[in-house]
Amino acid sequence: MANHSADHPAHVHHHFVDSDQQFDSAKLGMWVFLVNEILFFGGLFCAYIIFRAWYPELFYQAAYELNKVLGGVNTVVLIVSSLTVALAIRSAQTNNIKWLKRNLLFTILLAVVFLVIKAFEYEHKFHYGIAPGSFWDPSPEVLERIDHPKANIFFSIYYALTGVHALHVLVGIGLIFWIYLRARKNEFSSEYFTPVEIVGLYWHLVDLIWIFLFPLLYLIE
Amino acid sequence: MSEHGHHIIKLSTLWNVAASLTVLTVLTVVVSNLGLPSPLDILSALVIALTKAYLVAAFFMGLRWDNKFNSVLIIGAVFFFLLMVGITMLDTMYRVEVVPSF
Repeated sequence: MANHSADHPAHVHHHFVDSDQQFDSAKLGMWVFLVNEILFFGGLFCAYIIFRAWYPELFYQAAYELNKVLGGVNTVVLIVSSLTVALAIRSAQTNNIKWLKRNLLFTILLAVVFLVIKAFEYEHKFHYGIAPGSFWDPSPEVLERIDHPKANIFFSIYYALTGVHALHVLVGIGLIFWIYLRARKNEFSSEYFTPVEIVGLYWHLVDLIWIFLFPLLYLIE
Repeated sequence: MSEHGHHIIKLSTLWNVAASLTVLTVLTVVVSNLGLPSPLDILSALVIALTKAYLVAAFFMGLRWDNKFNSVLIIGAVFFFLLMVGITMLDTMYRVEVVPSF
């Protein structure tokens, strides 16, 4: 056994045996939170599944209003941002603080690009009165394409799923910026990078949710 | 000292995973344009999405090298999600009439 005090660097709280145990506990806690996130989005996906089973023809018609190209570009944007987060964690593990900070900034940039594209998509839909629930007030050309009494339900599900997802992206930007500020203060190294790893897990989950949203909402022919 | 517990993922692995995810994204768009008949279009989209989800969870999130209990948690989450959908559908799919306001 190593000397106990040597195993107790400054970042280790006194109730943990060592750095590893603290790291594993933090990670376990994050995974439990991610389980909660999966089931939270699960409720919305459940609504999607039931309404698609009830009104399959509605989904085929309504998905026409979604821009596949923008959705596809956003998918790639999130994949690359997941890569940059993974690279950020790797940079921390290899004590490369310069690239840790760069990768975090790249990730924030990509997240902002994602939100800007999403905002353009929303704006375009609102312009044609494609709004959720009782705000549904489609223009005549939209009505020509979607001839369905429950059309507003598809867009309620669309806005709920993508809106809550966009909120997660927004929170992610805040978290990654917080990690960036801490990295600037030289708080992370190969010895201690738990917050980088844990925010990384959160960001990958945001990507994971979008992986399902894209084909289920945009790619219905 | 504390290094033994942390697996450092190879750079090439990370880039390959990102490249595979991009290829699969293109593939899912291409498949959706084929106009496959009803159950096949959803199934193909889901198979590709699940493959992508596996790549993200196993490599980017590091579950491949992680404590197996974390994998149990995420598999458990998927199980309970399917249970929620399954039990809800047992109700919604076998109603004589759909709830009027829905």
